[in-house]
Amino acid sequence: MKVADKMLVTVSPHLHKKDETIQRAMKDVLIALTPAAVWALVVFGFNVVYILAVSCITAALSEVVMRKIMRRKPTLSDYSAMVTAVLFAFLLPPTTPLWVVAIGAFLAVGIGKELFGGLGKNIFNPAIFARVLLWFSPLAVYTTKFVKPFFWKTSGFFTPIATSINEGAVGRVVYKTLAGNPVDIPTAATPLALLKSGKWLPDMVAGPTPVGATWLNSGGKPSFWSLFLGAKSGCIGEVCILALLIGAAYLLWRRTIDWRIPVGIIGTFFLLTLVTWHHPIYNLFSGGLFLGAFFMATDWVTSPVTRRGKWIFAVGIGATVFIMRFWSLRPEGVAIAIFLWNIGTLVIDRYIAVPKFGEVGAKVFNQLPVLPEPAPEPAKKQA
Amino acid sequence: MSGKATYKTFKGGIHPPYNKELASGKAIRPAPVPSEVFIPLQQHIGAPNEPLVKPGDRVELGEKIGASEAFVSAPVHASVAGMVKDITEVTGFTGAKVKCVVITPDAEQPEFTKQDRDITALSDQEIRDIAREAGLVGMGGAAFPTHVKLTPPKDKPVDTVIINACECEPFLTCDHRVMLERPHDLVQGLKLLMRAVNAKRGIIGIEANKMDAVDAVRGAAKGEAGVEVDILEVKYPEGAEKMLIFALTGRKVPPGKLPSEVGCLVQNVGTAVALYEACAWGKPLYERVLTVTGQGIKDPANLLARVGTPISTLIEACGGFAGQPGKVIMGGPMTGWAQPDTSAPVVKGTSGIVVLTSELVDVGTEEECVRCGKCVDVCPMFLLPNFVVQAVKKEQWDRAEMWGALDCFECGCCSFTCPAYIPHVQYVRKAKAEIAALKRR
Repeated sequence: MKVADKMLVTVSPHLHKKDETIQRAMKDVLIALTPAAVWALVVFGFNVVYILAVSCITAALSEVVMRKIMRRKPTLSDYSAMVTAVLFAFLLPPTTPLWVVAIGAFLAVGIGKELFGGLGKNIFNPAIFARVLLWFSPLAVYTTKFVKPFFWKTSGFFTPIATSINEGAVGRVVYKTLAGNPVDIPTAATPLALLKSGKWLPDMVAGPTPVGATWLNSGGKPSFWSLFLGAKSGCIGEVCILALLIGAAYLLWRRTIDWRIPVGIIGTFFLLTLVTWHHPIYNLFSGGLFLGAFFMATDWVTSPVTRRGKWIFAVGIGATVFIMRFWSLRPEGVAIAIFLWNIGTLVIDRYIAVPKFGEVGAKVFNQLPVLPEPAPEPAKKQA
Repeated sequence: MSGKATYKTFKGGIHPPYNKELASGKAIRPAPVPSEVFIPLQQHIGAPNEPLVKPGDRVELGEKIGASEAFVSAPVHASVAGMVKDITEVTGFTGAKVKCVVITPDAEQPEFTKQDRDITALSDQEIRDIAREAGLVGMGGAAFPTHVKLTPPKDKPVDTVIINACECEPFLTCDHRVMLERPHDLVQGLKLLMRAVNAKRGIIGIEANKMDAVDAVRGAAKGEAGVEVDILEVKYPEGAEKMLIFALTGRKVPPGKLPSEVGCLVQNVGTAVALYEACAWGKPLYERVLTVTGQGIKDPANLLARVGTPISTLIEACGGFAGQPGKVIMGGPMTGWAQPDTSAPVVKGTSGIVVLTSELVDVGTEEECVRCGKCVDVCPMFLLPNFVVQAVKKEQWDRAEMWGALDCFECGCCSFTCPAYIPHVQYVRKAKAEIAALKRR
C-alpha cells in the first residue's frame, strides 16, 4: 500500500487545546481592557487617545529594535507589547506629557521586558516596572497632576490638556503637531490624595447618591456611585471600577487569569481596612486597587504558578497596599506593592512546596534531592 | 456535559475533544488476514523472548513461538497458521527496531477451537500460570505482564481489583464495544482476577459518556458477589492507574509506589476478557480488539485484529485514508506514538490507530514559557511541569527531580493546555533517563 507522502512524527500528546495560545490570551486581555479605555476617553477626553497611541507605538518600536539588537526572533505578533503599552498608559495621569509616555513605554518594553530576556523571562510586570521607575525619577514632577473628570465639558472634547505642554520645547512641538492648541485645565486631587491630606472624608452617613444627580458633577465630594462608576480624578485606566469588573469577568470566564489573586488582594485589603476602622468600600473604590488586582498582579509571568503560591502572593500584595496607603507618605501603593511582590514570586515558586499526589506529611518547603555527581570529564577523554 | 449528576473523579485533568462518536456505534468485526504477519518477539515490559521457531517451520494458530525463562516476561503466540518465512528486525511502533517472527499465512485460516473448561475450579496459582502461558499483558497500552501483577508482594495484600473501563483517551472506543458486546466475559474475567489475588471486592469503573456500557455490564454483574460498577466523570486522564484508584476508593498511591501499596490491582477491560478467554477457552492472546478511527479514515471501525498485522492492512480494511493523512498515531492521541509510515505491526498493547487529518494536526511552534501555570493547574499528580522543563534545559537534574520528573506518568495534560506549545512530556522523558543514569552509577 502506498505510504502517505508526508506524515508528522512528534511526541505525544497529539492533541492541543483549541484557542490556547499566548496570542489569544494577550488578545483577551486587550479585549478586557477596552471598557476601561472607552470610559477613560469619556471622562478625560481625547487626550487619552494621544497617550495610548504614543505608548503603543513606542512599545512596538522598542520591542522590534531591542529584539533586533539582541538577535532574537520578532515576537510583535503575540500582542504582549500592546498589552504592556495599554496597561502602562492606564497607570498614567491624563496630564502626562507625551514624551514622558514615550520614555515610559520604552522603559516598560525595551528595558523591563526585553533586557530581562523577553516575554516569560522578565522579573517585573513591565508596565509596573516603568511606572515605578518614573515615580522615582526626576520626571515624577510631570506625572503627579490629576485633572477634574469631564473637564472637557468646558474646554472641548478634542482639546489636549495644557499642563503637559509647558514642559520644554520638544513636548510643545510634539503636542502641537499632534493635537493643536492646548488649553489650561484646573487640576484636581484624587480621592486618595484628599483622604491622605485629611481635607475630605467620605460621607458615610448620607449613603450613596442616586445616579445622575451628582455623579457626573465633578465638583464637590465624590459619592460612592461616582467612585464606582468612575467620575473621579485619577490615572487613566483606574477610575471606572465597573468597566474594570466587566473586563475582569471576561478574563475569568476565558480562564486567562486566576481568581485567587484578585480575590486574595481585594479580600486582604478589605479585611485590613475593616479591622483598622478605615472605610473599606471607600478605600477599595479609590485608587488603582481593582486595576492592579485584576490586570497587573495576575500577569502570568510575574506571579507564582502554584495555587498555594498565588494565595501567598495575593495576601502579601493586599497587606502591602494597606501599609503603603496608610503608613507611607504616598497616597497610592498598588504599583509598588505589586513591584515588591514580583520579586517575592521567585522565592515563593522556588521554596513553597506543593505536595505531590499521594504524598503524606506536611511538606512546607521544597528541598533539592541529592543526586550522584555526573562522571568527571577528564576520565572520559582517557577512555 | 453530564448535567446535574456528579460522578467520582480526581483533581486536575483536562477535557480534550473526545470524537468517540466516530466509531462507538460500530460493532466489532474481524480484520482481514494480511499477506504477511510480523510478530514482535517482545511485546511487554520485561525480559526479551527467545524465538522457538526457525525459518521454514510450520506454525499452527495459537502456537507458542517465543518465550523466556525470566519471571517478568510473557510468551508470544502465532496469530495465524502458516509458514515461518524469516526472523528479522522490523521497525516497531516506537520507531525502534524489534525482532519479529515473519509468518506467511495459509490461504485458509482455521477457526480457533475453544476448549470448554470449568473456571470455577481453578486455584489462584493455576490462574496465574494460565495467564502467563497465554502471554497476557496489560492491554491498555503499557503492556506489563499480567501474571506479575497477579503476584503482589506477600506483605501487601490486595483487597480490591479495579477494571479500568474509563477509556479516557479521545477517539478510542474498543473497550466500550467490548463492554457492550461481551459484558459477561468481562465480569467473569474480573472474578478470575479477584480470585487470583484473593480480593473480596471488584470495581468496574466506567466514564459517564458510556452509559449504555454501564447498563450492559451492570446487567451481567447482577448477582455476582463483590462486583460493583461505578460511574466516573468524563475527564482525561481518568483511566490513569493512580487517578482511577483515588476516584473509586479514595486511596492515594504514594509517589513512586505501586497500586498494591494501597491494596489495589488495576487491569484493563481487554486484559480481563483475555484472561477469561485463556481460562475458559484455553485461548492465548494472539488477537485483540482495537479501534481504527479519526477524521482521516474513511470508515472508522472496531476491529478484532491479529497481533502482527501491519497498520496498513487495517487502514485498508477501513476504506483507507480520507484525504491527506496528517498524523497516524498508534494508541490514543494523548499518549500514543506517531508513525512515520504504516508498516509497523499491531502488538498486544495496541488499543487503536488514530488518523488525524492534516487540518486537525495542531503543531504550534514552541515558545518561551510564560509561566501561566496552566500546566500546574491540570497536572493530576500536582507536579510543576514548567519547572521540570526549565531544569532539563539547564541540565539541572536534581531540580528536575524536585519538581517531580520521576513522578510524571506522561499523560500529556500539560502539553495539551500549554499556550506556548512546550512538549513537556519530551523533557520529562529526558529527565527520567538522565536521573536514572545518574542513580545507576
